[in-house]
Amino acid sequence: MSVTARTLGAALAEIVGRDGVSAEPAARAAAAVDGHEPRWVVRPRAVEDAARVLALAHDEKLAVAPRGRGTAMTLGPPPARLDVVLDLAGLDAILEHNPEDMTATVQAGVTAGALATRLAAHRQALPLDPPGWSERTVGGIAATGASGPLRLRYGTMRDLLLGVRFVQADGVLTWGGARVVKSVTGYDVPKLLVGSLGTLALIVELTLRLHPLPEAEATCLVSMASLDDAARLAAALVDSTLQPSRLEMLDAAALTASGLPAAAAGLAISFGSVEPAVRAQEAAVMTAAGRAARVETMGPAFWRTYDRMLAGTGATCLRITTLASRTAATLAEARAALAGADGVVTTACAPLGVLRIAVGPADPGLLAGAVERLRAFVAADAGSVVIERADADLRARVDPWGTVAPAALELMRALKLELDPQRTLNPGRFVGAI
Amino acid sequence: MGLSAHVLAALEGIVGRDGIVATPEGRMTYECDMHTFYKGAPDVVVLPTRAEQVQEIARLCRAAAVPIVPRGSGTGLIGGAMAPRGGVMVGMNRMASILEVDLPNRCATVQPGLINLWLSNAVHDRGWFFAPDPSSQMVSSIGGNVSTNAGGPHCLKYGITTNHVLGLEVVTGQGEMVRLGGKTVDGPGYDLTGVVVGSEGTFGLVTAVTVRLTHLPEAVKTVLAAFRTIVEASETVSAIIASGMIPAALEMLDEAIIRAINAGTGAGYPEDAGAVLLIELDGPRAEVETQAQRAAALCRERGALSVSVARDEAERALLWKGRKEAAGAVGRLTAAYLLQDAVVPRSKLPQIMREVVAIGERYGLLIANVFHAGDGNLHPMICYDDRRPDELGRAKEANEALLRACIALGGSVTGEHGIGLDKCDSLSLQYADADLNFMYRLRGVFDPDRLMNPGKLLPAHPACGEAFRPARPSLPVGTWV
Repeated sequence: MSVTARTLGAALAEIVGRDGVSAEPAARAAAAVDGHEPRWVVRPRAVEDAARVLALAHDEKLAVAPRGRGTAMTLGPPPARLDVVLDLAGLDAILEHNPEDMTATVQAGVTAGALATRLAAHRQALPLDPPGWSERTVGGIAATGASGPLRLRYGTMRDLLLGVRFVQADGVLTWGGARVVKSVTGYDVPKLLVGSLGTLALIVELTLRLHPLPEAEATCLVSMASLDDAARLAAALVDSTLQPSRLEMLDAAALTASGLPAAAAGLAISFGSVEPAVRAQEAAVMTAAGRAARVETMGPAFWRTYDRMLAGTGATCLRITTLASRTAATLAEARAALAGADGVVTTACAPLGVLRIAVGPADPGLLAGAVERLRAFVAADAGSVVIERADADLRARVDPWGTVAPAALELMRALKLELDPQRTLNPGRFVGAI
Repeated sequence: MGLSAHVLAALEGIVGRDGIVATPEGRMTYECDMHTFYKGAPDVVVLPTRAEQVQEIARLCRAAAVPIVPRGSGTGLIGGAMAPRGGVMVGMNRMASILEVDLPNRCATVQPGLINLWLSNAVHDRGWFFAPDPSSQMVSSIGGNVSTNAGGPHCLKYGITTNHVLGLEVVTGQGEMVRLGGKTVDGPGYDLTGVVVGSEGTFGLVTAVTVRLTHLPEAVKTVLAAFRTIVEASETVSAIIASGMIPAALEMLDEAIIRAINAGTGAGYPEDAGAVLLIELDGPRAEVETQAQRAAALCRERGALSVSVARDEAERALLWKGRKEAAGAVGRLTAAYLLQDAVVPRSKLPQIMREVVAIGERYGLLIANVFHAGDGNLHPMICYDDRRPDELGRAKEANEALLRACIALGGSVTGEHGIGLDKCDSLSLQYADADLNFMYRLRGVFDPDRLMNPGKLLPAHPACGEAFRPARPSLPVGTWV
């Protein structure tokens, strides 16, 4: 066994260079996924090398977990097997930015923050802001399908990923999609890979649609007497001609955690446009909110603070999707289900029915019960409850993904079997133990 | 007739005699879509009224190894909804209902045969619309839009069909009825909805579609600018986008089209114009007013011959009139034309328009252009006279030269029409063997028997075969075990 291990390590070193492979206990421990230590941590510096590593892993029946900055490694169940952590942080080149076409091509390991800095010089942006976005890699955001408040206006990675270079499970470098903003040439392979958690292929390069940064931006915070009031105002704003970029609902704890004035509920609404349009829409919110509510204009740092709050709060985080019209009811149900837990902070993108529930350290039995209760609650509306962050114990008790309808799951399993029959990529970490 | 009496009888048992078209004249109506080059009548057309019937049809055909071709309104432009290998065509025209409108959740669920515009009409009074607006939207079906992932003039701002599809009900090639996605977002698992949209019926038959509805904008403003040359107009397109606005639509008409339109009912474009840009902005009123003024100023700065900004809905309709009549006006230029749908990066528009002119001259053919300039999606119409020997041949060569020029500039084979039979051999211009093979295998997951709309989208190419193995990277040898 040890002889094989050493020689496989040598083969990996031949591919990525001696300093690109670590087998030392400290490096392996640091890269452990849910306590599963890999045998090697491999850091390719070129996409071709990443492809060769996968080819070798495939031939040697090794299990590989891709990793960007490691901010979402607790998504999904613990891995069924793990031999190699493939650290893509070294694939961090911004290969192309075409300001006139509003497209950019980047390697998977580029952080969204580094990309934002580059694009801002041209007053453009990749408008994706999942919690802690600036430290997350673009490849990781694609693999996890992570999203944030800006999805209300700009959609998610699925709407912005134009083309993708990826390595198939057996090491074949492959391309899908296009480098232009509009293309229907062939199957929409980029959509297949967004949110697939690296279980079908390894994303190594992404061509992205960019947006112009708005000239003016303003955020207002509406303090409300109840979550129901907040939900009613959110619904009224959605059914209007206003075009908010973000519309987040915060409960009392979320307001406090963000350092905002205390209230039972709040709506944080931002507009990005030309100055007069921003002002006009802000005024419209004040009118819609009515005299009973307090409306304050927030400074430009508001969304950074909110992002830090989202990223930093909660030993456990649940992501619930339900009907937009059921957002307030689902928030209330979550609060009731977690009544015995401390540090419950809930926020929601109300117009899309996407909720985020953060919970402080709590008894795993209580959390598991709450997850099951919430799943039952949203089932009638075909909603879902995904455990986005939690210690391995909870994720071993309940499937962090929940169940997928049998017919759809069968197709997903067939896809996995066709594209990664040996289960080289992230075995066990996706839905239905894929 | 390739179908056995047994299969025909079973089909009749499923949809009833009334749901069967089996006469030669009847089948002939279904032999092509709007790309009339490609002809192939199905052995029989069935017109189901319920999803369960569609599933039964799929299972029957699978058992009998008979090809299945779905068809909506037959307005596709790619040789998609026709049956080159015969078999059973499933016409969705009797599954054309709106199943649910759910405005609090901004969505609607419809049957595939529903006409695109009818959905917008149904929700318009309450302030909503369905954003994808292919030029065929008065007749094309939403199922067909899903199948081809259709675009339209306003997709520059709003995105194409796939950006508005939340969920699907699909009968796969295996005859399974699967619900993908739905009214809630981000369901766990692979984004199968996203992969089925645009698969042109090669994965299965869509029996219901849940779509996102969009609120009508507060204001719409249209600007029309005429330029001396199409290159000037193309440069202005980039300048407008670079100024930080994304118009709802940004359409271009060239000299040939302008002449043809002026010769007809007349939109009153300047006679000496080499190109016309139609810029539409929508959104909050203050935004639209500011951006329309800016767009107009940019056009003037870049030497526009004339710039008009519509003051009201009537003027706006007048500015669009020419654009809407463009396709018909081409009839005054030519009896027949080939329509290309390739895409270039927006910044390459001036370059590709020079190339289009050069290609027209090289092949001695008129190439008329009316297209979605904002996203670089060309629609050159290569005019030819089919009574003259060799003109069609030259038109095809010019078409191919154009396509290659677009790809060489980093473009794409098709922006919104799709592949069908028409462009499947062009796929290899854009994709390497490994890429094609990946798509081939992807298709097999949904339709292992490859009976769903066979011969479409994927080319007859070695990489699209069971025996093909893409080249793998080389590995260090002899260092272990």
